[in-house]
Amino acid sequence: MATWLMWMTIGVPWLGALLVWRLGDERPNAQHHAAAVFSLLAGGTALALLPFVGETAVSRIPVGGVFGDFTLVADGLGVFLAIVATVVGSLAVIFSGAYMHGAAQLGRYYALVLLFIGAMAGLVLAGGFLLLFFFWEITALCSYALISFHNDDPKAVSGGVKALIMTQVGGVGLLGLALLAYGYLSSYEINTFLAQAHTLPAAVLSIAAFGALAAAAAKSAQVPFQTWLPDAMEAPSPVSALIHAATMVNAGVYLLARLYPAFAAVPGWKTAVLTVGLLSALLAAFMALTAHDLKRALAYSTVSQLGYMVYAVGVGGVFASQFHLLSHAVFKALLFLSAGAVIHAVGTRDMRQMGGLGAMMPFVRAVFLAGALALAGLPLANGFFSKELVLEEGLHHGPLWAYVGMLLGAGLTALYTLRMVAMVFYGETAVTRRVHDASPRMQLPLGVLTFGSLTTWLLAGPFTRLLAQTLPYHALKEMTTLEMAVEILTAPATALALLVIGLGLSAWLLRHRLHRWQRPLHPLAQAAVQSFGFERINQQLTVGTKGAAAVLSRTQTGQLNWNVAAIVGALLLVLVVLSWIVGWLVG
Amino acid sequence: MTLLNIGLIGVLGLLGVGFYGLLTSRNLIKVIIALQILAKAAVLALLVAGNASGQIGLGQSVAITVIVADTIVAVIGMALAIQVRRQMHTLDVVELARLRG
Repeated sequence: MATWLMWMTIGVPWLGALLVWRLGDERPNAQHHAAAVFSLLAGGTALALLPFVGETAVSRIPVGGVFGDFTLVADGLGVFLAIVATVVGSLAVIFSGAYMHGAAQLGRYYALVLLFIGAMAGLVLAGGFLLLFFFWEITALCSYALISFHNDDPKAVSGGVKALIMTQVGGVGLLGLALLAYGYLSSYEINTFLAQAHTLPAAVLSIAAFGALAAAAAKSAQVPFQTWLPDAMEAPSPVSALIHAATMVNAGVYLLARLYPAFAAVPGWKTAVLTVGLLSALLAAFMALTAHDLKRALAYSTVSQLGYMVYAVGVGGVFASQFHLLSHAVFKALLFLSAGAVIHAVGTRDMRQMGGLGAMMPFVRAVFLAGALALAGLPLANGFFSKELVLEEGLHHGPLWAYVGMLLGAGLTALYTLRMVAMVFYGETAVTRRVHDASPRMQLPLGVLTFGSLTTWLLAGPFTRLLAQTLPYHALKEMTTLEMAVEILTAPATALALLVIGLGLSAWLLRHRLHRWQRPLHPLAQAAVQSFGFERINQQLTVGTKGAAAVLSRTQTGQLNWNVAAIVGALLLVLVVLSWIVGWLVG
Repeated sequence: MTLLNIGLIGVLGLLGVGFYGLLTSRNLIKVIIALQILAKAAVLALLVAGNASGQIGLGQSVAITVIVADTIVAVIGMALAIQVRRQMHTLDVVELARLRG
């Protein structure tokens, strides 16, 4: 039964993708409904997997030869993320019915979204590295195609290509990890790898560990790969909510959490992971503070919150990272979808041309405030509990300097969240056109996600039980929701964090009085606007590649003799290099 | 001198002759002949490898497949050379590379 449900979670949305695509663009309503039905079915099958969760719920398809077996494993971590992917996916699809109303080429849009939902479920259910890599790249492909959905807009196309190239660079790390695992253990199975990782030579294990970190950083838009995510905001808002906030960008964090038991002992790995998380959290928070584009500000905040999850893995808090992932998936999807409702009504993404929208869109303001509450980490929202849990893990198991940095990040988060809310919904309005509130079709997914933002922390107890019982290598401890809530509410770290968050909030409210503090911070703001030089590095790389291509194109003479000489020369070079490598490995 | 060594020397010799022909000749007919010599090197390599691994039958059947495919290459190459000579009045590959469009 579990076997069937696992393959159906992947297969149902893929079948839907084919069907919606075949329906044809002249029947947009049928396309909306078919896509919604198939995504809801996928959500249903993923939820139906819950009773079957266990490390023994395995489906194995022998592929033969060096490809090993393709396995799906329904353990707690995988099923939980499959549920997030399919449920948030179906909400985004329902929202698209209103948001994409009247858009051209809906078949392409829905087919890619459904293909993505299936691939994401496959990614988290995959039990072997090769199958994981396969789904990993399909999600990257869907992400690229959906960012560039408006393919007559050069910004959308370049954003898509950028996302594709950067995640591909990281993907090489994952492929290397898969090949190393197969080379040394003759199996792609992740659980075999976790059980026998200590038998690998230390140098090989550390190459694998840092390869996984590179892959995760690229996928989760962490330093130094973070620049692709803001440019991915050219995608339609439901896509941003689904792929670039709630699901695909979590794949990196998922990979790190999944492989944590194997790599925890690698010297320097944990420090590297928590440093990547800390840098991403802080730098992106500064960038969110200076952004004027609503969706870009949200994208920076996604990078920053993903930094919290990566940091949590780095200090050993696997459960804290996954718990924050759940909270973040819900509240960030809510924020992106309500931002989509605002953009749909106002017709611009520039926050300076908004303001005072609260009176005109009371429903959207209410749900956005719920999301903002969670993002800032204020009590009773899910973001409060998960962020406090991350910070507490950091205080007890991580270095103090990193904890202080993350605490500062929490204050900055509160500051930029309040700035966003104030610029969009309060103050004097700069909007001239008639603005309508969200339509009922938008209100349904927004309402569900708002409910989730305020309540998913109640799932903490069952969630720890799910993970602790089905992940044999992670050594997680079970906790009830009440225990967790009491522990968080009574910990002194929570009071400290709330104090910093309060400081962040008051910094925005008192910003006119803090005027003279702004001058020394000016260079920092300038640097944040220029993305701390990372964008410049990207440009240099592009220019360099193009220059090299121009130089190398002179070698393409079209002369037969010259080409044969190049082929023979290259063959000899490859032989020399290979024999050198083999000699080095053997000797 | 084992059979394997003799065979490998033969393969390398044929490869060398074929590549030398491809590198130096400008005449299209000679280029096709050089390509054929390279293909024969591959056939010989298959037979040698089949003999060395004890799977002579496999080596021979693949070799025959290569010979059949290679004959087609030779025939089409020659036919193209004839057409080139008729249309362009030259068989010099350097001359032909200069004709663009």
